[in-house]
Amino acid sequence: MEYKIIMPQLTDTMETGKIVRWLKKEGDFVEENEPVVEVETDKAVMEVPSFKSGILTKILVEEGEEVPVGTEIAILETEPEKAKVEKKEEKPKKEQKEISKTKEKEEKKEEIKVQIEEVEKIELPEGTASPAAKKLAKELGIDIKKYQEKGLLPTPAHEKDIKEVYYSNFFDKKALELAKKYNIPLEEIVKQIKKERITEKDVKQYILENNIPEIIPVSDIQKRVIENLQKSLSIPTFHIYEEIKTGNIPDVEGITLTTWLIKVLGDTMQNHYRTRAKLDGDVYKVYPNSNICVAVAVGEELFIPVIKKVNQKNLKQIADELKELKEKAAKHKLSPEDLSGSTFSISNLGMFNILSFDAIIPPGRVGIMAVGVEVRGKTKITFSFDHRIINGREAAIFVDDFKKRFTDKKYLKKLAEEVS
Amino acid sequence: MLYREALNKALDEMMEQDKSVVILGEDVGFYGGNYKVTEGLYAKYGEKRVIDTPIAENSIVGTAIGMAIGGLRPVAEIMTVNFSLLAMDQIVNQLAKIRYMSGGKITLPVVVRMPQGVAKQLAAQHSQSLERLFASIPGLRVFVASDATTAYYGLKFAISIDDPVIFLEHELLYPEKMEIEEEKNFSPYRARIKKEGEGITIVSYLKMLHDTLKVLPTIEKELNTTCEVIDLCSINPLDVGTIANSVKKTKHLVVITEEPKTGSYANEIINKVLEEVFYDLDAPPLKIAGEDVPTPYNRKLELMSIPTPEKIATEIIKWGKKHGI
Repeated sequence: MEYKIIMPQLTDTMETGKIVRWLKKEGDFVEENEPVVEVETDKAVMEVPSFKSGILTKILVEEGEEVPVGTEIAILETEPEKAKVEKKEEKPKKEQKEISKTKEKEEKKEEIKVQIEEVEKIELPEGTASPAAKKLAKELGIDIKKYQEKGLLPTPAHEKDIKEVYYSNFFDKKALELAKKYNIPLEEIVKQIKKERITEKDVKQYILENNIPEIIPVSDIQKRVIENLQKSLSIPTFHIYEEIKTGNIPDVEGITLTTWLIKVLGDTMQNHYRTRAKLDGDVYKVYPNSNICVAVAVGEELFIPVIKKVNQKNLKQIADELKELKEKAAKHKLSPEDLSGSTFSISNLGMFNILSFDAIIPPGRVGIMAVGVEVRGKTKITFSFDHRIINGREAAIFVDDFKKRFTDKKYLKKLAEEVS
Repeated sequence: MLYREALNKALDEMMEQDKSVVILGEDVGFYGGNYKVTEGLYAKYGEKRVIDTPIAENSIVGTAIGMAIGGLRPVAEIMTVNFSLLAMDQIVNQLAKIRYMSGGKITLPVVVRMPQGVAKQLAAQHSQSLERLFASIPGLRVFVASDATTAYYGLKFAISIDDPVIFLEHELLYPEKMEIEEEKNFSPYRARIKKEGEGITIVSYLKMLHDTLKVLPTIEKELNTTCEVIDLCSINPLDVGTIANSVKKTKHLVVITEEPKTGSYANEIINKVLEEVFYDLDAPPLKIAGEDVPTPYNRKLELMSIPTPEKIATEIIKWGKKHGI
């Protein structure tokens, strides 16, 4: 018979117990009342005996893990002939687990975040400095009090302030700014360059020679982009590669290729409900409108504002809205409303003469199309799809529908006429 | 290996080597020790060398002193430092003084081992750290074992010398997994530099050392500097030289102990180091210690009463920013 060993309550206050060490291995015979495991309680480390004799067939809680009182921690087979012990080939697995555990621990180590509220300021009369600062100032011939009166040294002064004041005398203004931008201790530059007057050129030379990196902080927007991209990694993605005859598109003033693509995509989406769906737990939410987000680059920053109800809008309206959203993005004035609600995405790098590329699906979207440059009336487009929402067959039919619309001159003409 | 197994290994090896080494204490024999430090020794060396005593701490130390006078090298275990208060007369008036008062004719190779510190909700009477009491009594050597290495080599060293040693362990370290690093010429009188650094010298021992090491990356990142961490193996005598040399380099000193602030041994460390390095300091030394309260039973209050990794990081970073690091 199977007998389960549970985490016992060893003290009145004990709520959880940590397995310190298993005294028996899987496959070992355990006598009645023989200790099988050491448990750390809230008070001490104690041995836990088995109440029955038998063969330990399975250890359920590994060493180092903490579980609540009452949790099953091991299984014992009381009729030894029936005992089936899984072959011990799992050893390396266990080690791996341990490694990942220690890694986790190490990561945790760094995770401890401290909140520092305001740091207290010390108010003391001029002339005050730490013993180390005074010692160094004396050596370097700096009159601390005078410098403090002129506002060149803080009060109290510390050693690094003295160093800074002393060594900055060697630099001209631009050189100093550059050194500070790169966060290089002035002392080190002076020691290496050994000149009375250090110019910007010297600092540049120092930066080159020592290969000093420029530190660029990650902007808040970029932090969010990174977060989202990492979420995108968990999307099971497949691609469809196509070539669209964009040469048939009529010339309409003020309407770019991107605008055309948005409009045609929006119309196509109306016939394919899965491209308007969002996965939410165990339901798909299918939205009636074609809402499409467009990747917009402002400087080095990336935004994906949404053009809503594309199916109900004409090319002009879409072009105007796109312009407005781009302007808002440039001013960092996009509202959360402007950035949410889409189910499909477009990224166009054609203007940079890129033939074709793959794009990453922004989280929460069914797919994205990546648009390359138009070559002799044709444009290569790569579609990426979230396989959880749409299967290959449906995606293929959708892409084909989209593609065919560009050979349907009637349809294209109708769209053009709506705005002229 | 566990911390407590390092202690066990030290005891086992010393008993194997030298028949005059004996162990005595409450439940050290048949039961294997309350914290399992003496596990297996009773079976190996028998009841004459691993002696279960009555619950009478003053007698345990008194008996150990008698044994030492008679030529043995006893290792007495007091279950926790809290109960050593009952043995203070023997410790202070006999153990610390007989060698001196006999003009060196009687040596006392006695080790009194005991764990101390805040564990988990053992309440005020069972959560004390008392190193300051022992360190302030002339005639005693006081060792602290922060990890398996100092536990193993430190305890062997303590048993081998002819002076009485108070050997302090920490209750929460017993089940911790760690390894003995091989050391040639180990001496507890030399503080160990656990990690080298340039900007701040941090001195600690026992559990606080581990708590400090845990948050070191945060501290170093926030203050944009590196820390030198020094572990003490002996607090009396104190290796002032190693700490002072480090502070001469870093110009900043932090001392962390679990004891309540007032009268904590950190004060003594700071004082002794300051005498050597005052003119090299770039900031006032920082002491991080427990609050001046009997340890509360409530877990949240208990954690508030002692330094925790978060508190250590916060205090050092605040102090660093205030004083221009």
